[in-house]
Amino acid sequence: MQVAFLETPSLWIIGALVAYGFAYYVYAKWVDEHIWEVSEKRVTPAHMYLDGVEYFPVSRYVLYGFQFKSIAALGPILGPFIAVAYGWLPALIWIVIGNMFIGWVQDYSTIMLTVRNEGRSMGPLVYNAIGERGRKILLAYLLFYLLIISAVFIYLVSLFWNVFPGSFIATIGIIITGLIVGELLYKYKANIFGVTALAIILTLISVGIGTAVAWPPKNFFGPWSVQVWSIILAIILFVGAIVPLPKFITPMNFVAVFPAIGGVLLIIFGALISPATGIKLIQPAFKGWYVENVGPIFPILFVSIACGAISGWHSLVSTSTTGKQLDVETDARPVGAGAMLTEGLLATSALAAYMVVSPDLIAKGKISAFVNGATLLTAPFLGGDASKAYLLTFFSIFLVIYAITVQALVTRYWRVFSAELFRGSWAWLGNKYIATATGLILPIIFALTGSWINLWIYFGGSNQLLAAMALTLVAFYVAKMNKPSWYSAVPAAFMTVVTLSALLWEIYTFGLSTFGIKKPLAKPPLTQYPGAAWALNALFFVIGIILFVLGIYMSYALWNAYFKAKRGEVEAKAVSP
Amino acid sequence: MSDWEVIPIPLFGRKKKEKEEEKKEGVSEALKGVLYGFAVHGAATAALKTRMHMEHLFMLMTLGDMLGFPIIPPYYSLKILPYVVPNIKSWKERLFRERDFTDLLSG
Repeated sequence: MQVAFLETPSLWIIGALVAYGFAYYVYAKWVDEHIWEVSEKRVTPAHMYLDGVEYFPVSRYVLYGFQFKSIAALGPILGPFIAVAYGWLPALIWIVIGNMFIGWVQDYSTIMLTVRNEGRSMGPLVYNAIGERGRKILLAYLLFYLLIISAVFIYLVSLFWNVFPGSFIATIGIIITGLIVGELLYKYKANIFGVTALAIILTLISVGIGTAVAWPPKNFFGPWSVQVWSIILAIILFVGAIVPLPKFITPMNFVAVFPAIGGVLLIIFGALISPATGIKLIQPAFKGWYVENVGPIFPILFVSIACGAISGWHSLVSTSTTGKQLDVETDARPVGAGAMLTEGLLATSALAAYMVVSPDLIAKGKISAFVNGATLLTAPFLGGDASKAYLLTFFSIFLVIYAITVQALVTRYWRVFSAELFRGSWAWLGNKYIATATGLILPIIFALTGSWINLWIYFGGSNQLLAAMALTLVAFYVAKMNKPSWYSAVPAAFMTVVTLSALLWEIYTFGLSTFGIKKPLAKPPLTQYPGAAWALNALFFVIGIILFVLGIYMSYALWNAYFKAKRGEVEAKAVSP
Repeated sequence: MSDWEVIPIPLFGRKKKEKEEEKKEGVSEALKGVLYGFAVHGAATAALKTRMHMEHLFMLMTLGDMLGFPIIPPYYSLKILPYVVPNIKSWKERLFRERDFTDLLSG
């Protein structure tokens, strides 16, 4: 069945592609040439400090793939789910504008910061700009940030396992495939092409088994099902965090790559050919300025779609690894800007999946909306109704994979982070097992409320605030170069206002329940325990205040440094060497 | 004028010939690279880092006296010395490099 081109998501996907093309070939090129004045002849840290371990030149294609894999997670896929509550048009505008003028600016510029500052990562860059206190506050901020990411991702994977029967079995199938692949590659040195083919076949079989078995059913463990799934997931993540990387996380990530890439390509293709397949846009373009239980469009829209438009996490990846391995400066644009704009495309394709599902699914907050939308877009060219059950499992696994692979790394990061952080009489907190357990138990407690949308907004707010800090840091260094810093300072100012407002909104929301003005935000079964629900709301109220205060301090210090740099008053010690 | 001068080091700059060769590599090489980066590069970097930490320990135990940590008698250090000479410079650089908590993200 053919429908009018304008009634399908196809036009919007093409429009977004054109916008991203403009951002990459015109705006990013201008910044690259006129502000950073990149040169192939300027030596990069990868060559200057070549050690074959941390610093070594890597092909732009490899770095692009690495950067994209490191930055793409659930953000661009589930963020639009919350944003589409205001209608698909505001979500689309934010994804496109955010990517064009803010997202790539941060990713590209933070890579350049590292390249021009002897391969320094975010901590030392902040230290250079605002001193030791700033660096310590960044550390404290990151601690809370990691806990909130973990809470959101652990809860969501548990929710997916609970809602989609068969998805748990398929996930276990993929993990077992990962273990087999790991043994074949690392122990038996098997041929990589053969192992890859085996990995793809076993992954497809795992999804098939999950679909055929469709077990366990929803709420298998009774009212506490999601929490039980959280504990099962925590056990898997615990093992992943303590065994050597090549034994578990590395092969699992390797196997997960294929459904992750395949899913994105299928959805984009499905959206592009939607005029031919007859899949129509049925979500309203605009629904309203305020959504009950979510909040006002400003600032919530801008923090709900986090990684799909801009994300602070990307600045950590760009400065800790990518910037140290950049072969020549001219690679920064394809790697930093290219990977970010590709993630923008991922967010746009996820939005396309939400555009074609019933508005009821969004209104009722059904997490299955993405899976249903993606299946609708892809089923017509993949076997029609006969393939729907398989595709539903495949796209539920697609969601699980994006969350679980990043969460495995976050849990491991938390463990290594704790080992470095806790010294002296606190050293026991850095113990391998205790640190891992802490990094899993605390998020599970955070997620007990079941109010994942509020948690997501906290995650988005803290994540975007980190991005605002990174953008201000970029503006500071660019101002020191006596180059136009508006390209980073204007987005930084916008993101600072938006994210601090979003944190304030959530503090207000949890404050209402903490002070008994409203009922605590909680979902069954926790609603049966009002005392516990209240305690968790109060905890979030306090965490919100802590994040807000840390954010205010960092923003003030960084903006102060920026204006000093603009006036040429930066002290010699704060000048990058 | 930016803070950073262009330092023309021909060794590190990409030469015209290399660029032409790169173009010839074509789409298949680019795809291979992207797939490798997506699937394996992070793991390869992490494996290198694990090896680095093991090497640090080994070098510190065997040649610690070079840095003021005489862990094994110099006689044995001297016997090992010829085999580890190529690694000494990069070992010292890596060991003494200050690492920040934000560096931990890379493995």
